[in-house]
Amino acid sequence: MAVIGKQTRKVDGLELITGQAKFTGDYRFPGMVYGAVKRAGVPAGRLTGVDAEAARAIQGVVDVLTAADIPGPNLIGVLPPFDQPLLAANEIRYAGESVALVIAETAEEARRAADAVSVSIEPYEPILTMDQALAPDARKIHETGNVTLSKKLIKGEIEPAFETADVIVEGTFETSFQEHAYLEPETVCAVPGRRFTLYASCQSPFHIRGHVAANLNAPASSVKVIQASTGGSFGGKDDVATEIGSLACIAAQRLNRPVMIAHERKESIIGSNLRHAARIRIKTGAMSDGKIVARQIHVLLDGGAYASESPFVTMKTLIHAAGPYRIENVAVESTSVYTNKTYCGAFRGFGVPQVTFASESQIDELAEKLGIDRLEIRRINGLRAGDPNATGQVYDQSVGLLETIEEIAKQPAGSEQTTDDRYVYGTGYASVAQGISNGAEGVDVTGASVQMSQDGSVLVGIGLTELGQGSRTVYALIAAEVLGVDVDSVSVRLVDTDAVHDSGPTVASRSTTVGGMAVHKAATEVRTSLVSMAALMFKTDQENIELRDGFAILKMDDSARIPIREVATAAYWTGFPVMNLAFSKAPDANFDDETHQGNVYIAYNYGTHRMDVRVDRRTGEVDVLNHFAAHDVGRVINPLGLEGQVEGASLMGFGLAHMERIRYADGIIQNANFADYAVPSIKDRIPTTTIAVEDPNPTGPFGAKGAGEPPVAAAAAVFANAIADAVGVRFTRLPITREDILDAVRGRDDG
Amino acid sequence: MMIRFHCNGKPVQVDVEPNARVIDLLREDLGLTGTKEGCGRGECGACTILLDGKPVNACLLLVGKIVDREIVTIEGIAGEDGSLHPIQEAFLDTGAVQCGFCTPGMVLSAKALLDENGTPAVEAVEEALSGNLCRCTGYGKIVEGVLEASRRLTEGQDRGGG
Repeated sequence: MAVIGKQTRKVDGLELITGQAKFTGDYRFPGMVYGAVKRAGVPAGRLTGVDAEAARAIQGVVDVLTAADIPGPNLIGVLPPFDQPLLAANEIRYAGESVALVIAETAEEARRAADAVSVSIEPYEPILTMDQALAPDARKIHETGNVTLSKKLIKGEIEPAFETADVIVEGTFETSFQEHAYLEPETVCAVPGRRFTLYASCQSPFHIRGHVAANLNAPASSVKVIQASTGGSFGGKDDVATEIGSLACIAAQRLNRPVMIAHERKESIIGSNLRHAARIRIKTGAMSDGKIVARQIHVLLDGGAYASESPFVTMKTLIHAAGPYRIENVAVESTSVYTNKTYCGAFRGFGVPQVTFASESQIDELAEKLGIDRLEIRRINGLRAGDPNATGQVYDQSVGLLETIEEIAKQPAGSEQTTDDRYVYGTGYASVAQGISNGAEGVDVTGASVQMSQDGSVLVGIGLTELGQGSRTVYALIAAEVLGVDVDSVSVRLVDTDAVHDSGPTVASRSTTVGGMAVHKAATEVRTSLVSMAALMFKTDQENIELRDGFAILKMDDSARIPIREVATAAYWTGFPVMNLAFSKAPDANFDDETHQGNVYIAYNYGTHRMDVRVDRRTGEVDVLNHFAAHDVGRVINPLGLEGQVEGASLMGFGLAHMERIRYADGIIQNANFADYAVPSIKDRIPTTTIAVEDPNPTGPFGAKGAGEPPVAAAAAVFANAIADAVGVRFTRLPITREDILDAVRGRDDG
Repeated sequence: MMIRFHCNGKPVQVDVEPNARVIDLLREDLGLTGTKEGCGRGECGACTILLDGKPVNACLLLVGKIVDREIVTIEGIAGEDGSLHPIQEAFLDTGAVQCGFCTPGMVLSAKALLDENGTPAVEAVEEALSGNLCRCTGYGKIVEGVLEASRRLTEGQDRGGG
């Protein structure tokens, strides 16, 4: 490999490091006005009136829109049932619900005027817990009831298996809502014209284009969405970017002026989706030798007011709840419910962190009960190539779980222990598997283009978005490797729906795997043209030519070489195509809808983590002394990018496990700012060491598999297990805060 | 009111509302959009600029406070020939940049530190950057970037002095 696997700087880093990159909020257009939304402020009720008189009187206000002003259907949503209004028309289902949009000459005027809009709401008793929502006589939040989706996975027969089991462990685990907390709040800017142009901080521009067109009652081809530089997304800039994107376009059309809507931080927390809170009841039966014979799991997800991606998150928890183990008898039921709280949807990990915390906590409990080493029990039960997983899917390669366990077992023991009784020490382990690709969520196709100019430089286009994760660099490396050129000679287009192909959403750790395959395919076609041309120039057969180091080289004589730029020029003038648009389709999912047995994902990323902690018994403060994160990524494309993903995702998992909790009181979020909602700062960082296992994946480019999500789940679970080991108390709720730990230490010491 | 100050080494004279925030002055009046607004409450550090060499949150700073003083933004730290500042180079080399939204503030906090203390310990780096949130990197590569910049700047001085 010439460039694949070599440490590579971000290809789009220069604009970012100099401050020249244009984020959506950096655009300015003549006549631009600003939008701000009035939110309901109460979690449930019937909207009886909107009085905008006082708002209209405020200087600079040019327009106020309500539900009646939406030209097309007043509905958005990432997938069926499309149950969310752009602006509330009748029902108020959560406190952050948008009721009116105010447009003014400045952002500050718009904000002030939005505050001055008066809304009349006849309040209902809000439904604030899953138990309230599921009570038989509960008020229906939506006409369809309070269950968004409920699905079952059935493999084998659990009851007889539990009867034969030597030991059974049971427990209930809970996790809290988590906020994405990307540093750039959601922002869009709509520019009207014969066609609409929408600049957006977003994750899936084609999805937004479809919704904007529908809400405007216009054809999709009349809307062009340009993804501006996007300051993080982590799953969070799908629904909300659609909501404010459509609102901005509708206002821009009415006023024939460019409209910018930029969320304040508070709105980014209360008015856009969160990670689902979960309650997971789990039961595991095993034989005395450690072999797990049955698992039964009930997952309940609090999805808040609207469906968003709850149906898919429900499916993902269903498929992942039993963990990366070979278990013959599994029964899972996953259910997402509506409540009168901020809606929940996609967030890096997509349900897997919640179920992995429950599953891995119980694996440790089982090991303790059986007196088996904690890595050994994972070794005994861990999936190998050829084993059917929870959906019965069998992979004959790229199942590197056992290698990740052995890598973790090889790491040196922590050494910093003191005998000072102020501190207690602990070590945790956790394993994870996370499906790569849309899988159960639908067909998985990507379009990508590769064009070589006469000078040999390359332009790659793809509809998947760079959100900071380094996907542009991955695409540049793949194209450079295939074409035998330097990565610096490859550029990757911005995502502009006019200029690249719909490649589906940028989700499910699919960019490198599925997107990378499309780039590989297009680049390979261009390569074929170049090799054909070079063969003509050398007057030899194509198989005698290789492309390397920027040259077409005669294999038998390394000194016989022609610069690729000369080959490209000759190909152009000969009429050989030096561009290609490739369409790549991942193997289809194929499973039974009742039992969820069948083939779901094109591959899984497998991982095992170890974390060593020191707990201060006087304060509950935790120091993470070591954190090793081993993941089977198939093939490393860019080590620098991989480490960045594993380290960043791990700290996000650590935040979920230790620090971050959305606090509600009466349906209102109490900590919608960074002073009260604790996003990990540099002082909270953990010393993550990334260990790559490479068991090549036949469905990914050069064998690669996605890696952006799985460390979140493993890091959250490993923290819980390390704390349990240190403190001697099993915590069943995330986050496990410093105060929780202090209470437990005191309780234990008193007891 | 008319105010004067220096921005990125150049004198500036501009007519502003007295209660305007410096972040708006920079972004709206001077077109320096490299300074980012992440929270508007001084809690995230994305809008960090240097005021007489010290890092401050431009979202909390009113324009009256910068009269006759010297401001440096991300647009002002590259060399006159356009070459990147060693901190910028080091950040790219170590992978300290992911989405890039926190990056300008991070770089300026790092510059304030290294201008004061050319060879900081890890704890000093953490202290200096503790007001700058990043949600992408997990911070490890940012710390590496600052330490790498420190090495390069020190070596550069050694060479210059030798």
